[in-house]
Amino acid sequence: MADPHQLFDDTSSAQSRGYRAQQAASGLGYPATSTLPQAAFLADPVSNMAMAYGSSLAAQGKELVDKNIDRFIPVTKLKYYFAVDTVYVGKKLGLLVFPYLHQDWEVQYQQDTPVAPRFDVNAPDLYIPAMAFITYILVAGLALGTQDRFSPDLLGLQASSALAWLALEVVAILLSLYLVTVNTDLTTIDLVAFLGYKYVGMIGGVLMGLLFGKMGYYLVLGWCCVSIFVFMIRTLRLKILAQAAAEGVPVRGARNQLRMYLTMAVAAAQPLLMYWLTFHLVR
Amino acid sequence: MTSPNNPMIMEEVEDPIANSTEVFKIAASRQYAGYDYSQQGRFVPPDMMQPQQPYTGQIFQPTQAYTPAAPQPFYGNSFEDEPPLLEELGINFDHIWQKTLTVLHPLKEVDGSIMNETDLAGPMIFCLAFGATLLLAGKIQFGYVYGISAIGCLGMFCLLNLMSMTGVSFGCVASVLGYCLLPMILLSSFAVIFSLQGMLGIILTAGIIGWCSFSASKIFISALAMERQQLLVAYPCALLYGVFALISVF
Repeated sequence: MADPHQLFDDTSSAQSRGYRAQQAASGLGYPATSTLPQAAFLADPVSNMAMAYGSSLAAQGKELVDKNIDRFIPVTKLKYYFAVDTVYVGKKLGLLVFPYLHQDWEVQYQQDTPVAPRFDVNAPDLYIPAMAFITYILVAGLALGTQDRFSPDLLGLQASSALAWLALEVVAILLSLYLVTVNTDLTTIDLVAFLGYKYVGMIGGVLMGLLFGKMGYYLVLGWCCVSIFVFMIRTLRLKILAQAAAEGVPVRGARNQLRMYLTMAVAAAQPLLMYWLTFHLVR
Repeated sequence: MTSPNNPMIMEEVEDPIANSTEVFKIAASRQYAGYDYSQQGRFVPPDMMQPQQPYTGQIFQPTQAYTPAAPQPFYGNSFEDEPPLLEELGINFDHIWQKTLTVLHPLKEVDGSIMNETDLAGPMIFCLAFGATLLLAGKIQFGYVYGISAIGCLGMFCLLNLMSMTGVSFGCVASVLGYCLLPMILLSSFAVIFSLQGMLGIILTAGIIGWCSFSASKIFISALAMERQQLLVAYPCALLYGVFALISVF
């Protein structure tokens, strides 16, 4: 007697067509009746068909995502910002905490494209901001935990509030750049990278606050605030101001003054946000 | 499936089945291409492993002219012809043991091809063991373990794809991170007996986190040929295992 599963096996291979032709040939002229066994059997192929449809749909969906992911998230552009190595990260962290001795803030170019962060310490990257952001959330959870105010949904709350402030900053700066009609090569991702550097100072401040109390927190945060202020001014000056002004030659004109004010405003917003996002974590 | 009296039913039912099973087999083979099924033959959908159909009645008899020209049906007509269950599921205990030993010797040189076959059975066992040791300490937190593993694997997958020249598959990332969870099981078993909140506990926790992330980053570096980035890969792994340690300790 034929194994019922043999039906599935046979009809999915090439000789099934011969098989079905046989059926058609021998099947003509028979009345169709539906008895109970066939009804029970019919329930199975329907669910199998649904499962087959579902898995084919999943495979198609995956292909669709792979083809279209580039339209929504510029993956190749993002890869540039993650082309870092350990030496670069070390030097950049040092620069964020002590930017006073660094002389040359220009990003080197190589045939019109900026050099990868691996090769130039001045190039912006996204590894440090991303890691700093995640570390900030975990450290905030730790700080709340030591004060017995921890619950896992608070982590989500911290994360989304920090992200919201970041998005607000980016939008505000882009809007003001648009209004001041500055022609810069400062892309949005660059801006996100620069604004993400303040999380490093915030982490330092909160950790010191956990170890040494409020005095430690204020000292370290104050130092990091000043450093990030200087860092932002020196970096953005090259991007936003006109070339002549960037070289230190005083250039007259309302437009340059406006750009100078904009740079200072962006740099001044950093310490304010650093304090705002951390003061409630240290008691 | 029908008696010779009811071939009409056969015709109506057969076409959608043919299409669907063909599609299903193609989808299944594509989906499971990464798994090492080469020694087993084709994948068997679990629903086909039913016991005998409940109906007796009129069973279709193939006509004499029909001879199946295909190679023998995957599980012919007898139960003994089916491959063993573990082999079908792709669980190979020997491989799992090999990979576990690799993780446990952090100073041994690792071969880059070790993670070519993504194997999620080992990591699953380790996750369950971790949850079980937490349960022994009175913390019923399977949900957190799975949730954090999923988010951590996803984050690591995105990061490694952006940082490396060649990409990785999600299964590979999940597999490596799962295997390197093994030392964390040691930590949580300690927590059952001693409390980890003293100085000794902090040192032990830091050591175990370092061990886990060092092994994981070593495997990633050799599998993806990323030079001078080991610390950069180890840091997010350390964050992930730090969260697990947080669950163990507090």
